[in-house]
Amino acid sequence: MLNFIRTLRRMGALLALLAGIVPAAIAKPIAFANGTTIMAEYGAGTMEEAQVFYAPYYWLSLGIGALRLDSDATSRTRDIHYLRANYLIHRWNLDDAQANIFAWGGLGTATGSDFRGSRLDREVGFQADYETRRLYASWVTDLHESSAYSDRVDTLQLGFAPYAHDYQDLATWFVLQARDYSGGIHHGVEFAALVRLFKGGAWIEAGLTQDAKPQLMMMFNF
Amino acid sequence: MRIFILLLLLVSTTLPAATIEMDVNGLVCAFCAQGIEKTLRKFPATTDVVVSLEGKLVALSTKDGQDIPDEELKRALTNAGYTVKSIRRETETLDEVRQRLKAQR
Repeated sequence: MLNFIRTLRRMGALLALLAGIVPAAIAKPIAFANGTTIMAEYGAGTMEEAQVFYAPYYWLSLGIGALRLDSDATSRTRDIHYLRANYLIHRWNLDDAQANIFAWGGLGTATGSDFRGSRLDREVGFQADYETRRLYASWVTDLHESSAYSDRVDTLQLGFAPYAHDYQDLATWFVLQARDYSGGIHHGVEFAALVRLFKGGAWIEAGLTQDAKPQLMMMFNF
Repeated sequence: MRIFILLLLLVSTTLPAATIEMDVNGLVCAFCAQGIEKTLRKFPATTDVVVSLEGKLVALSTKDGQDIPDEELKRALTNAGYTVKSIRRETETLDEVRQRLKAQR
């Protein structure tokens, strides 16, 4: 507990430092109108997810995904395959920034190590983000539930770029992440430090959690 | 009247290639730029597109004698999820716009 409080204090100090430098780039469930997004994430052995979305409009995307949750505290696992719709509730296009609020919902099937057969999985989620070319913040909450379980993953990310990139430049971001799992997937908040690179429609992100477990993410938009 | 219409048609088809510049809000990431470029290249009159995050600018060139009405450009960028602040026609070529933006960085 003491370690957790110390870590929070360090995060707070870093946030204050970031706020003093400049007011990024966020994984959004809708990249752009008539665009396709492919995403794969390996989250420190506790969460793996892959998604494909197509956006007919800038405010809507539809797609499929697969999520595996693997508890690092027990032997509990979940395998969920789902259909999902993402909706942009509101976007603020500012002079030097953009902010968004997204919501999503989906249905799927789930199997798990602590129940028999498959269950109907229901998913709801929410994302709020703010980004400039040098700083970003995002908060994502994603809930999967069925008659056998209720698992929620909350992710807070704060990022800063050492330089302002332009279109066709290689963009570099340093990201701090705090992730909280409900349902006994992971005890306590999992912190990670990540480096994100992207250019054009390709994005790759890699880093380590405080337990030195790897976290990787790749995304392609076209 | 017929002569006037013929003259108008003659003038409109001999217009040189144009460069259209748009100031756009919300341009902060490469994905924004990618979506906008993809949208604007769909216009048959478009020959090339430049997006500058630094300049918060979207510029495009059109084929000789062709133009894209402001309303269509505004609608296209609004439907792409961005806010157009202003639209103007420039005499510079798109390469000159590129050079200007490069010099400003």
